[in-house]
Amino acid sequence: MSRSRLRSTAVAGAAMLAVVGLLGACGGAGPAGAARAAGEPVYGGTLTYLEHQPPTCLYLPAAGFYPNGGILNQITDKLTWQNPETLEIEPWIATRWEVSEDATSYTFHLRDGVTFSDGTPLDAEAVAANFDVYGLGDEKLKLPVAEFVNNYERSEVVDRLTVRFHFAKPSPGFLQGTSVIGAGLVSKKTISLPYEEQCQLKNIAGSGPFTVRHQVVDKEVRLAAREDYDWAPPSSEHQGRAYLDEIKIIVTPEDNVRVGALTSGQADFVRYVQAYDEETVKSAGFTIYAEPTRGVNNGLYLRPGNSILKDPDVRQALLAGTDAREVVDTLFTPSYPVATSVLSHLAQGYVDLSPRLAHDPDKANALLDKAGWARGADGVREKDGRKLRLGVFVAGPQPLSKQTLELIGQQWAELGVKLEIRPADAGTQAVDIKDAEKTPLQHSMVGRADQDVIKSHFHSENRDAILSDDEKLDRLLAEQSAEPDVAARNAKVGEIQRYVIDQAYAIPLFEEPQVYGGAPHVHGIAFEAVARPWFYATWKS
Amino acid sequence: MNRVGLGLAAAWLVIAVALLWAVVPGLFTGYDPIAGVPAEKLRPPGGPHLFGTDPVGRDLFARVVHGSAHSLSGAFTAVAVGLLLGTLLGVLAGSAGGLADDAIMRLVDVLLSVPGLLLALTVIILLGPGTVNVAIAVGVGSVAAFARLTRSEVVRVRRTDYVEAAFGSGGRYPAVLWRHVLPNSLGPVVALAALQFGLAILAISTLGFLGYGAEPPTPEWGLLIAEGRNYLATSWWLTTLPGAVVVAVVLAAGRISRSIGKDTP
Repeated sequence: MSRSRLRSTAVAGAAMLAVVGLLGACGGAGPAGAARAAGEPVYGGTLTYLEHQPPTCLYLPAAGFYPNGGILNQITDKLTWQNPETLEIEPWIATRWEVSEDATSYTFHLRDGVTFSDGTPLDAEAVAANFDVYGLGDEKLKLPVAEFVNNYERSEVVDRLTVRFHFAKPSPGFLQGTSVIGAGLVSKKTISLPYEEQCQLKNIAGSGPFTVRHQVVDKEVRLAAREDYDWAPPSSEHQGRAYLDEIKIIVTPEDNVRVGALTSGQADFVRYVQAYDEETVKSAGFTIYAEPTRGVNNGLYLRPGNSILKDPDVRQALLAGTDAREVVDTLFTPSYPVATSVLSHLAQGYVDLSPRLAHDPDKANALLDKAGWARGADGVREKDGRKLRLGVFVAGPQPLSKQTLELIGQQWAELGVKLEIRPADAGTQAVDIKDAEKTPLQHSMVGRADQDVIKSHFHSENRDAILSDDEKLDRLLAEQSAEPDVAARNAKVGEIQRYVIDQAYAIPLFEEPQVYGGAPHVHGIAFEAVARPWFYATWKS
Repeated sequence: MNRVGLGLAAAWLVIAVALLWAVVPGLFTGYDPIAGVPAEKLRPPGGPHLFGTDPVGRDLFARVVHGSAHSLSGAFTAVAVGLLLGTLLGVLAGSAGGLADDAIMRLVDVLLSVPGLLLALTVIILLGPGTVNVAIAVGVGSVAAFARLTRSEVVRVRRTDYVEAAFGSGGRYPAVLWRHVLPNSLGPVVALAALQFGLAILAISTLGFLGYGAEPPTPEWGLLIAEGRNYLATSWWLTTLPGAVVVAVVLAAGRISRSIGKDTP
């Protein structure tokens, strides 16, 4: 009796495997033959977009998180448009602007006739209200300051369509700051809501080409095209309303399901195609969009406040003992270039430091010996009875973080360093990640197409990845951020990168892209400078 | 009869092999379960790698073999916790009767009304993740089942003539419990323990799958399955083979439990 039941289970299992195999085969044969028939764009249709994670708080300055950005980029416009190829700042809601010589005052002239989705006009007052919050925060409403605005002092409404911003110190990053995802403009009503309410999608009234039609929290968001939209960036080929009627964003956490839905035709576009799935998507005749994020590279960030890592020799040893090339070759694809500096090679102010990042286990061992860490019986180094053990959290947003850390742990084991990998548990992580003693290493990255990105990552008042106690680093970052001359600013960014590597605060691994997969019948996908999709000119054939 | 014997022998064989894996893993595999060769990543089963290799180039068979120590010792701990606490509560309730019985059994009712996995997760959040804590959490979840079964047996045995006779001949309460009641109530409880062993492996694997078990890169069966599922489309062996091992061990434990249950009246 139990034997026969077992047998039938086995048969069913085998049949299921066979079906899976067949599906795979179909995927390989089907759409590959269909040539990309571009032709004339057509209006209408629904784009089904599968997102890896549910959006969190949608307060605009927090839009850096990709699931948030994927929605907010469709429903808000910005003052300026950063051309993702040239990284030039081009007009959008602001038709032109003047910047004072020392970059302490910016005057923007706005386009006439732009309205928010709640019907109120997008005028100088609305823009001023937005940036007063982004630049100064609002304690009463619990709204934090945005990281893309530095040294902000006040706004001035010159006339209905002219607004001027004043800065206490030079703020050369501000012009680019007006183009980033977090600088999306929202109606005066939205910006005057308290933080918890601005977090909710239903309260966000932007002026973008789409509006929110329906939301099932943590599951699905439906966006509808705005019929009267007529203020795309002048450099956009397409003008007027968006081609698509509707965008359906469905949260699909399981990697297999996203890729399977794409290749089987249930979805048109998916975010976060894992490295090991790229081949599956490509061989099915679909398109991989690997978009650079132009910021601080994916890497391990070493916290000098930790009692083991306060010794620069130990930090240098870990840097020399990590083989980023092996990580990329083993786990990733050519979409993930090996890091050659703290910053991506497409970032502004990048300097090539690859000779300093070479893998050199002999040097690493020598440095650890010199620092007084001797190998113990179990192969792990010890000093004064203390093991050389360092903890790190698996980083949820980073691709294949766990495998990456396991591989690095393997490399470090050869040096006699034990890497303790802790699976992400939101509760514990939220507390321990701010404690250098408990979490000496952080696995992270930041994307933004401006020199200020390095400040966002390292400054003790911004993201503070290394829980910095280094006044020199903070000073360099602040100087960079206040330098009006582009060449001098880039030189400063170069100096900071050298300093970070000199101090071995970072072990850069690779330049993290955002990898999307698209069906062959989807055309006109565009991305902002940091790889968030923009579906305004997207159409389906 | 012969067929039944064969099935039972196979079940014992599976358990024996799994135990040997846990005790002397070196006999079965020469590969390091933690350090892999990155160049040999994602090799299909066969050749030098019986179960293939994972994305970091580690031998999957070695990881399954070495993982059995964590999974099986976890299951043993879980069953031990459940068995000891549960039997203690059951014997107390069954022999004392009255108010103590009511109090203990209502407590057991409360435990039973909370889904096992939820209870285990609650305990883990309190204790913190880790192999031992996971085992304790799973064990706490099975206390109620053991307590109920033990109580029912104790209530039955308590009324038998020989127990009355033991009391009549001047036996002290704990001594009678220990010498007469407990040994005669334990048969079904041992069968339940064998069954719980299989369930504990599953529960521990489930918690490992959810990320509460051993710290990576330590191999653990549930973790192996969880890690492999993203590669299901491209590298089937990463989930299928460890999954098959878990299924085999759990089925074998169930089969053995049934045979124990049958032998005892």
